[in-house]
Amino acid sequence: MNVQTTRFGQVEVAEERLLEFPFGMLGFSSYRSFALLQPDDQAIFYWLQSTESPELAFVVTDPAMWVPDYQAQIRRDQMEELGLADVADAQVLVVVNKREGLLTGNMQGPLVINPETRQGVQLVLADKRWDTRHELMELSAADAVTA
Amino acid sequence: MLVLSRQRDETIMIGDEITLTIVDIRGDKVRVGIEAPANVAVHRKEVYDAIRSENQKAADFSGSVSQLPGNQSSDGPRRSASALMADAVPVRSKNPRRERA
Repeated sequence: MNVQTTRFGQVEVAEERLLEFPFGMLGFSSYRSFALLQPDDQAIFYWLQSTESPELAFVVTDPAMWVPDYQAQIRRDQMEELGLADVADAQVLVVVNKREGLLTGNMQGPLVINPETRQGVQLVLADKRWDTRHELMELSAADAVTA
Repeated sequence: MLVLSRQRDETIMIGDEITLTIVDIRGDKVRVGIEAPANVAVHRKEVYDAIRSENQKAADFSGSVSQLPGNQSSDGPRRSASALMADAVPVRSKNPRRERA
């Protein structure tokens, strides 16, 4: 599938990289279809690019790479909506932001994706250990990593 | 908006399964007890607002964290071995998923 993006122009995305968020993301509920773009297997940041809106894309990363004991809790009915039989099968990503020289991850609103059905949902966690602006790394270091 | 007056220990029903009980009133603070089915999410609105706000800020992300296009057909990102727990019950043990991996 060809996806139009403002950041990268037109990109060809394999079918298995397309994701559907039936409820969208908070604040973006009308955008349901995304492509997960990654540069290579060593990448630590990916783009979650809307296939419906060329300018809409989020930087995402795997929270477990930053916080080894990170845990999101998902309800059974949410698992059923995703067709997820086992939590161990899920892909978890968090949305990344830049602020004051830091990269932060939204640990309180993780994205949970079932790679089999390629359906995803943004969870809202009540767990007070996690907040929306968890420090991942200093931005200068991030630039060095990905340069 | 429907506005109802309630006193302490009085309850409001929402549908057949959700109850809101005024547990305590002190000054300008009200404590509300909520009973709802397990498949109904109950959160402070501030949490939703914070996540929505982060999403909106993230959508304006600019700059080159990485040069990401290309290679879209390579294998998926590494799986999170331990990042998800079933059920909204706090789990104390560390990384139970990792032991299974």
